[in-house]
Amino acid sequence: MKKLRFRYEMHLQFDAPVNDHRFTLKCIPMSNQRQVIQKLETYIYPNEMLSKAEDSFGNLCIYGYTDKPHTRFDAVVSGEALAGCLPYEPAEENYRLGRYRYPTPYTKPGPALKEYYRKFQAEYKNSKVQIGAEGNLSKSIVLMHMLHRDISYVQGVTTVDTTAEEALAGRRGVCQDYSHIMIALCQMAGIPARYVVGMLIGEGLSHAWVEIYHDGCWYALDPTNDLMVDDQHIKISAGRNYHDCRINQGAFRGIMVHQTQTIGVSVEEIGKLEE
Amino acid sequence: MYEQDLYEHADVVNELLARYGVKFGIYKNNVFREQLFPFDAIPRIIAKDEFAVLEKGLKQRVVALNLFLKDIYGKKQIIKDRVVPEEFVYASSGYLTECEGVCPVKDIYSHISGIDLVEGKNGQWYVLEDNLRVPSGASYPMIARELCRRSSPRTFMNVKLEDNRNYAELLRRAMDYVNVGGHSVILTPGRYNAAYFEHSYLAEQTGAHLVSGPELTVEDDMLYYIDSYGHKERVGVVYRRISDEYLDPMTFNPESVIGISHIYDVYRKGNVALMNAPGNGIADDKGLYYFVPKMVKYYLGEEPVLQNAPTYLPFYEEDMKYVLEKFDSLVLKDVAEAGGYGVVFGNKMTAEQKADFIALLKAEPRRFIAQEVIDFKDLDIKDQGKVVPRKADLRAFVLMADEPMVWKSGLTRFSRNPDSFIVNSSQGGGFKDTWVLSQ
Repeated sequence: MKKLRFRYEMHLQFDAPVNDHRFTLKCIPMSNQRQVIQKLETYIYPNEMLSKAEDSFGNLCIYGYTDKPHTRFDAVVSGEALAGCLPYEPAEENYRLGRYRYPTPYTKPGPALKEYYRKFQAEYKNSKVQIGAEGNLSKSIVLMHMLHRDISYVQGVTTVDTTAEEALAGRRGVCQDYSHIMIALCQMAGIPARYVVGMLIGEGLSHAWVEIYHDGCWYALDPTNDLMVDDQHIKISAGRNYHDCRINQGAFRGIMVHQTQTIGVSVEEIGKLEE
Repeated sequence: MYEQDLYEHADVVNELLARYGVKFGIYKNNVFREQLFPFDAIPRIIAKDEFAVLEKGLKQRVVALNLFLKDIYGKKQIIKDRVVPEEFVYASSGYLTECEGVCPVKDIYSHISGIDLVEGKNGQWYVLEDNLRVPSGASYPMIARELCRRSSPRTFMNVKLEDNRNYAELLRRAMDYVNVGGHSVILTPGRYNAAYFEHSYLAEQTGAHLVSGPELTVEDDMLYYIDSYGHKERVGVVYRRISDEYLDPMTFNPESVIGISHIYDVYRKGNVALMNAPGNGIADDKGLYYFVPKMVKYYLGEEPVLQNAPTYLPFYEEDMKYVLEKFDSLVLKDVAEAGGYGVVFGNKMTAEQKADFIALLKAEPRRFIAQEVIDFKDLDIKDQGKVVPRKADLRAFVLMADEPMVWKSGLTRFSRNPDSFIVNSSQGGGFKDTWVLSQ
């Protein structure tokens, strides 16, 4: 277990005033069995009209509106997290997890996924990893190792719309792609799997990883780093795919406006805690 | 009787319908074309007793479908009890994950349901399809009745029939029942929508405001209507005629320009009623249709009054075997398509088409349902002066307030092509008034 200090900031700079700006943000980490969030501070600008709600996955959304002309938009979230309190989060009953068992447009299998799945089945047979009766966790761990080995981390070759099938066919991508590919393959193996957005020690951007259902709990695996999620990750949101966890969704009015986005994430360790 | 009088006035009625703009817009190959929805003056007549049975069955069906929706987005008991296999729910495009755990006002999901029925030659009615998202069509028989009464009043002197011009009252009752405080509005995507005539007519008849997306705005978790003076008035219920995916760009399709940002958040908090509720597509999914009679038994403990057309799910091995064996006598439907698209008849395919289709069917069995071709009763229509028989269906409307209400009429659509079984207006069919006798 670690005590972490985190700060997430996103700034939009507009080169001309915009108005009628509506936005929904999902950028606030919440406490759960795995992490305890303390000293949470949020700053959002413009902030004349802000509301809060939970989406259907239980993620905290902050949404708002301003009709005043403005040239910048800021969202800053900071606080401390006790991470790694437990290695898992309790899940709902299995029959309620249907939405994590079937593909979405991001995770729909095509030829590349089908072929890779056969490869996975062969490798899993020869692997020595065996944890738990259901085998979901051991399968996922083997899968994570394989993906880390077979896919190169390359920025700029995929976009936010790239599907698991496309990314796998090119064998390149970023954390979003690793996660979508892993979710697609887990679902093909009958394992409920979901997409997680969060922050990681030493990363300057937000990060994405995967949670899989095993024996009544969600276990988190980070295929980009070939790492079981323990006390270095802070979770912000979960959903079926990137779309469900979009950190920032917005629309505004402006004439020929160009926007520049800067995102900064920092997570540092400020203390180690004994179990 | 003065039927002759009515028939002779058919052209007058059609002219009036054209003048009132009773049109149907069709997009084909990316071109928008508006065409008249041809009216045939010979009404479909349903006897009082016969309609009473339909009414009972329709109420039962809609109540069960509502309970199904509440269950799917809530407790999921029907999945736990394995009455409905979960793949039919979660692999369907009608299931909206955003609706999980969100309760619509007074637990009503389907305020307006359009149930499509056909009458077999044996006199037995069958449900072909449930429409629980944005069912359209009620305005056509409403205005046709009005115009017929005007052009041919004598016809109506001696027939004892239910007045169908009360549809607006039923709709108003359904709106008022869930209104959480404020104005009632009908939200239209605009005049290039296929059913724009209907949106404007229903607004006029119910006294609701006809609005488009930019006239509504969300502030502090409330929905407001901005009138032409710039005044903001709270909205308590939205009868929306735009589909779920375009409703709110912040929650659903971010590209939507006809929706209202954050309206879904207002709805989630119970500060506005949306009719029909988002997410209803899962209950009128063609794959789930097979299970509706089972839902009636499961939720209500009653025998279903209305029957489905005999339907097979290739998903079940036994049914797949039957479908392959009887392929030529069946109609196959792609569960993802609507409006008469994605429907193929086994006996109308070439050997090559058939082989391709069967390969697809085997690869994606969940995607299709197969049905017996019902030999449905023809109705007479007048075509270029001659009376000829044509295939027709009936869309019955059920509205939900404190109790389900069946509109004592319906939209009878017919195919103008003598060889076609497809009556959808988007495929160029016509319509008739539906008379329900009161004695």
